[in-house]
Amino acid sequence: MTERTAAGRVALPRLMLMLLAVLGLVMLTSLLFGAGSVGPEAAWRVLAGGGSGDERFTVLSLRLPRALVGLAVGAALGIAGGLIQAAARNPLAEPGLLGVSAGSALAVAVALVLGASAATLRVSVAQLGALVGCLLVLAAARLNGAGSDPVRLVLAGAVLSGLLGALTSLLLLADQRSADEIRFWIVGSLAGRRLQELKAILPSLAVAGVLVMLIARPLAAMALGERIATGLGHHPGLIRLLTVLAVALLVGAATAVAGPIAFIGLVVPFAARALAGPDVRRTLWLALPLGPILTVGADILSRLLIAPSEMPLGVITALIGAPVLIAVVRAHRLPAV
Amino acid sequence: MTCSADRDGVPAPAGFRRLGGVVCGREYSLLIDRRAALANLLLLAAVLLVAVLALSLCSITLSPRQALAGLFGTGEAIHVFVVQELRLVRLMAGLATGAAFSLAGCLMQTVARNRLATPGIIGIDNGATAFAVASVVGLGVGLAPPPMALAGAATATVVTFALACDVGTRGYRFIVAGIGVGAVFGALTQLLMMRVAIDVANAAYPWTVGSLNARNSEALRWLLIGLLPGFAVALRLARALTILRFSDAIARGLGYRASACRHAALALSVTLTALAVAVAGPVGLVALIGPEMARRLSSPRGVPLTAAMLAGALLMTLADLVGRLLLAPIEVPVGIVTAIVGAPLLLWMLLRPEARLT
Repeated sequence: MTERTAAGRVALPRLMLMLLAVLGLVMLTSLLFGAGSVGPEAAWRVLAGGGSGDERFTVLSLRLPRALVGLAVGAALGIAGGLIQAAARNPLAEPGLLGVSAGSALAVAVALVLGASAATLRVSVAQLGALVGCLLVLAAARLNGAGSDPVRLVLAGAVLSGLLGALTSLLLLADQRSADEIRFWIVGSLAGRRLQELKAILPSLAVAGVLVMLIARPLAAMALGERIATGLGHHPGLIRLLTVLAVALLVGAATAVAGPIAFIGLVVPFAARALAGPDVRRTLWLALPLGPILTVGADILSRLLIAPSEMPLGVITALIGAPVLIAVVRAHRLPAV
Repeated sequence: MTCSADRDGVPAPAGFRRLGGVVCGREYSLLIDRRAALANLLLLAAVLLVAVLALSLCSITLSPRQALAGLFGTGEAIHVFVVQELRLVRLMAGLATGAAFSLAGCLMQTVARNRLATPGIIGIDNGATAFAVASVVGLGVGLAPPPMALAGAATATVVTFALACDVGTRGYRFIVAGIGVGAVFGALTQLLMMRVAIDVANAAYPWTVGSLNARNSEALRWLLIGLLPGFAVALRLARALTILRFSDAIARGLGYRASACRHAALALSVTLTALAVAVAGPVGLVALIGPEMARRLSSPRGVPLTAAMLAGALLMTLADLVGRLLLAPIEVPVGIVTAIVGAPLLLWMLLRPEARLT
């Protein structure tokens, strides 16, 4: 019935279709359910073109932008996770765990303390911070000793992100105004995000998309080892540089909009590999629907679990992601990336 | 009591000094490790110095002489009030929590044979914090924060060790499993903080990052009561722990019950951590730096439990003092100060090419 490849797995296009259908359902759920007084039937009427003014406002101006932002953030973080895992050759690498998100949070905090206030500035600053965090992590991975032990890299990343987080807290303590400005952003959440914020990050997402298309194939070759990749005509140094740039663009953009959110970049490639095997190109394709499914799904939970108040999205992703982290670590032989 | 270099013609081993003599008709003899004794004296002097500074410096600056006069109740009334009512409790809290965290860290590092395996890193701090916050916000089934913190620390320990059991306590996977457990408990803490009224959350916030400002006197009493017998038990275990560093087989061959000792040390470590978390929140990095400092200063022959305690007390008091003065009048929580100082040290330990951590 289902078409299967030689490896005994469902073929990629069919899998993509199934996941896109799930994604559609999740997006619809996100529009139908919410903390406010607009119930599922009313929201459905709005989607069918009816509904009162209040209901239209709630669904189209509050819930729809939020779901779309979740879509973009989830896709960006999922793909960034797949990329950084391939570049560090480490199934535990994750932008949030390794300090990349903490780097962009710190950069935004520094910019605010130095007097910047425009919301538009945030994207490029966050991307710069993510780039620095990313370079630090990959430098650590390439240091003698740590690169050979995936688990040690994660430990180093956890420490690095703790350090960057403490520096951010210190800055915010020193400057009450900045603290007020980013208090709700720093915990990681999709609440109250508007379409303008999505528009601000679209260009960088597009650039990152192009980069990913360029490097997907060489990355798959790099999985066989740098010498083989060189033998196949790729330049490992260049590929790694482009990967770092793409990760910084994606994580910086996602963090600028939604704040630092951990664990999505870990769970999504993990699930993608479980569904479609170790090829990084399949992982990246599947991350496209899986990231938004996870992010928007977690966002729905964050709204419903303690309605009418909201949980930060980061709490939900940690609750989902930490068990996955433990599962990956418990596997006696870490799956090769 | 007399000092003699040797007794019955047996010289003291190199680096040791033998104290011996006849007390009430019975002969006693004690070997003192010279370097360890020197390190302990040095650390004690540093602790006293920082303690006097901590009593003197803050928004009202006293001279050390005024501070000491205030401490003993002989100075001006205002100085007595400032020192005894305001600063002394905080100093006691800093000394006690630092000593407890550091002793707990030293015990767990020795048991796990891994210098990175401290209670804070494997999630025990976060477990204790989550349960204690639950108690603060009124979900504690009527228990005060200290017993709730004990329950949380025990839960986190059991979960981490259960998850890591088939991986073994050696190596880094055990620690990453602990990081995962810690992340779950951290998320639960945030969840609890979200559910309570904003003023309760604001009051509990500095404590969740680790601060001596929000200490509660009942929790401090629990800690002081637990710390003294805890230290006694640790000293009782010290010999066995020294042997356990090598291997279980050697320990058994020398007549120690290896797994009983290990469980006792682990239980003691978890208890001390929980009691300290109930006072100051999760300041886990002291448990990493304190023993490291003690190991550098003290003799490599034994497990430096006393030196670790003194170093922890020193670090905690010093970090609190720096946090109070750095951005005065704003107070930087001690947890942030230790994170900024401790994290680079930890990174260096991890990423050094010749890193040997067990």
